[in-house]
Amino acid sequence: MRRWKTHTPEGALDILERECAIKREIENCIRTVYEKSGYFEIQTPVFEFYDVFADGGEEVGQTAMFKFFDRQGRILALRPDLTTPVARVCATKYEKEQFPKRISYVGSAFRDGDAVAGALQKQFTQGGAELVGDGAPEADAEVIALTIRALLACGLEDFQIDLGQAEFFKGVIEQAGLNDEKIEQIRRLTDQKSSAALAEAIKDCSIDGNIKDLILQLPDLYGGIDIALDIKRKNLGRRAAAALDNVIEIYNILKDYGLEKYIAIDLAMVQGLSYYTGVIVKGFARGVGFSVCGGGRYDNLAGEFGKSLPATGVAIGIERVISALGDKKSKISVPVVDTIVCYAKERGVAYSVAESLRADGLCVEMSQINDTLFDNAKSRKIGGIINVIAAENIEIINLSDGDMKITSIEELLGGEGK
Amino acid sequence: MKYLTIALAKGRLAQLAIEIFEKAGLDCSELKEKSRKLIFTDDKNKLRYIFVKAADVPTYVEYGVADIGIAGKDTLLEEGRDLYEMLDLNFGRCKMCVCGKKGSVVPSGFMRVATKYPKIAQSYFAGKKNQTIEIIKLSGSVELAPLCGLSDVIVDIVESGKTLKENDLEIMEKISDISARLIVNRVSLKMEKARITDLVEKIAKEI
Repeated sequence: MRRWKTHTPEGALDILERECAIKREIENCIRTVYEKSGYFEIQTPVFEFYDVFADGGEEVGQTAMFKFFDRQGRILALRPDLTTPVARVCATKYEKEQFPKRISYVGSAFRDGDAVAGALQKQFTQGGAELVGDGAPEADAEVIALTIRALLACGLEDFQIDLGQAEFFKGVIEQAGLNDEKIEQIRRLTDQKSSAALAEAIKDCSIDGNIKDLILQLPDLYGGIDIALDIKRKNLGRRAAAALDNVIEIYNILKDYGLEKYIAIDLAMVQGLSYYTGVIVKGFARGVGFSVCGGGRYDNLAGEFGKSLPATGVAIGIERVISALGDKKSKISVPVVDTIVCYAKERGVAYSVAESLRADGLCVEMSQINDTLFDNAKSRKIGGIINVIAAENIEIINLSDGDMKITSIEELLGGEGK
Repeated sequence: MKYLTIALAKGRLAQLAIEIFEKAGLDCSELKEKSRKLIFTDDKNKLRYIFVKAADVPTYVEYGVADIGIAGKDTLLEEGRDLYEMLDLNFGRCKMCVCGKKGSVVPSGFMRVATKYPKIAQSYFAGKKNQTIEIIKLSGSVELAPLCGLSDVIVDIVESGKTLKENDLEIMEKISDISARLIVNRVSLKMEKARITDLVEKIAKEI
């Protein structure tokens, strides 16, 4: 036998019936929440031209993409995310439509390599909502609220959504007037919350005292909304102050939604700064080491596809939500077979019996009668078997107590004995 | 209350970590007993300690199986995990260096580099020095490679320099300083902020 024939590649999993039922349920919960707010689903190709994703910034670099060629030698890539295709669609297919446009999606994304956090799963599923063509903080709050409601609908309770702002760091660092290398070092140390190393790194830089203090504080600027309100009193430059006002305003809008208890602030979220242009969103759930959702405002993305549009959105990691649900997963009902209709000769009668029962909402399997059928059904915990001997002679066998009664097709479908 | 899990690297790093934890007021007596157990619990402080291989500490912490870990900067650089690196504990000090035969110089063109740290070597030569190299991954006694002609140079940690000296090798270039770091999972810090920052602050005072 060929060596790999019986395996799936690392990072790609079979999802068997129980897990699949749970996954479908979670996806449907999220879909329903999105659609009720007017975020209708679109589907984009699983693979696209590499060019679409090539400028995706540091988060999804060249090495993180699965690539191949078409017959004309053009590079194709499995989509590493679903936001970029949505931006492409908005700037091209929807170019002449009315904006703002609300769009949602649920689908697989693919990332190769080990550089991506938690990328043991190279194929994973994202559900997301994007509000394109609206630059107001109300739009950011809307997708954040939508995400919170979607997580709640999935049954998640113990989670927290952190808000950051890309412009805050950019504004503070702009005031310091440092070179790019130094900025990148400060960004990295801030991201890692390495306060001591950060102090060491800027010790000898000639920066205004106030700004220096502010940079030193960056790693600790996370927690409740007070963090943002406190720092507002500091002597901030215009850009950083505007960023802070934006976060506070989004928080206040979410308060009107009654969802502020899920919100925390982290002004030191400084990953993906080349991509995000405003609020940055990241969600955490107890018990899962990776974020369960992420997103933010990305006003420059659609422009790369030919139409400049402000946009904001958040994507939920379906597999991560499922793992965060832990024991709560067991409450999700998985489909079970209610009964097996079996027959020896009367296949036609058995078929119409089965179809009628299905029409009544039961889950019905059909089988030719055989020696192992009863044991097989018992081990699968199926409650009963209907043995169609003839139209007037139908045995209903209760597998839990072995009780058997004889009925006719009319009686059975008339409502008795189900 | 949930137990916080701390991942320690088996060996000397763990001993030094335990010392600093004790100074910070944690009871680590059970951890110091000679035993082959891999998990210890401190019920009073709701802490759990796990002992893992040094190179695996960042993995346990990134996945959130451990909330906190003590790992050498060398493994952090090599593993490149997405973590908070909150404290430099200042012990386990050494240097990551390019070393070669005494009197030789680092070739400027193509060369072979033997190392236990392929990512660090690659990012140093390809990234910083813009030099194309071939990496030969070894798992120990890296010093042998240039002596036997397996590679031109090695990239490895140097502590006292004694092994180098005894084998007629020397440091040619320093890549970076290494020391033990306290790392924290990105979700744990957010979900258990009060307990983790309290612990971090206590430890920070004892560095």
